[in-house]
Amino acid sequence: MENRAGRHAALTKRLLESVLATSGHTATKLRRAVFARAFGPHPLTTLPLSPPLSGTERGTGGEDIAPDLAAYVDKVAQHAHKVTDEDLAALKRAGNSDDVLFEATVSAALGAGLGRLERGLSALRGEASPPDPLSRVDPHPLTPSPSGRGGTQE
Amino acid sequence: MRLHAVEHGHRLPQRLKLLLIRLVSMRRVPDVVKTLFYRPEFFGGPMCDWTQAVMRGPSLWSVGERELFAAFTSRLNQCLF
Repeated sequence: MENRAGRHAALTKRLLESVLATSGHTATKLRRAVFARAFGPHPLTTLPLSPPLSGTERGTGGEDIAPDLAAYVDKVAQHAHKVTDEDLAALKRAGNSDDVLFEATVSAALGAGLGRLERGLSALRGEASPPDPLSRVDPHPLTPSPSGRGGTQE
Repeated sequence: MRLHAVEHGHRLPQRLKLLLIRLVSMRRVPDVVKTLFYRPEFFGGPMCDWTQAVMRGPSLWSVGERELFAAFTSRLNQCLF
């Protein structure tokens, strides 16, 4: 079975390096911590990241993130549609510029997206995977029921 | 758009493209496009290249099927785009 990075490894690597390793308005350390926090509970070893994420970054990812920003990162990662104007206004009042919030938001979204992709591909490979953080929230109204599942019949 | 910089802070080349999109489509430019056009070297450029390869590149899935996956995922995420 093809690695998650697979055919698109070079493009994924370029995207990750651009968002997590280039100079910006936030420290790369913060962006990597935000990314790891949003990525969720799964080994990050398959990601084409250079250098690989450290043990701290792969832990809770919260050590280097201010509590208010960490709460925002969790919101973006788990249910982005619940983000409000007031969330951003409060973070700006706390001293975060638009560019800081832009970089944090992109890092969180990228981490959440790639984390889900990795967990999905792990499931297809038949690997055991830690529970998705989304499973801790209420069932989504569109969650398919066992009797109404989709897919093709062959 | 909740970040003023991403709504109005584009550099001249991206601002001109956004203006052109608005004039041709005669409607407001979607926020996702404004996001991709903001500091494109940081996120939008590599993200668009990645998306193009995944959504339009060689695949066992047709373009229509891939678009359907994306639309369904967006719906589950309660995202309108």
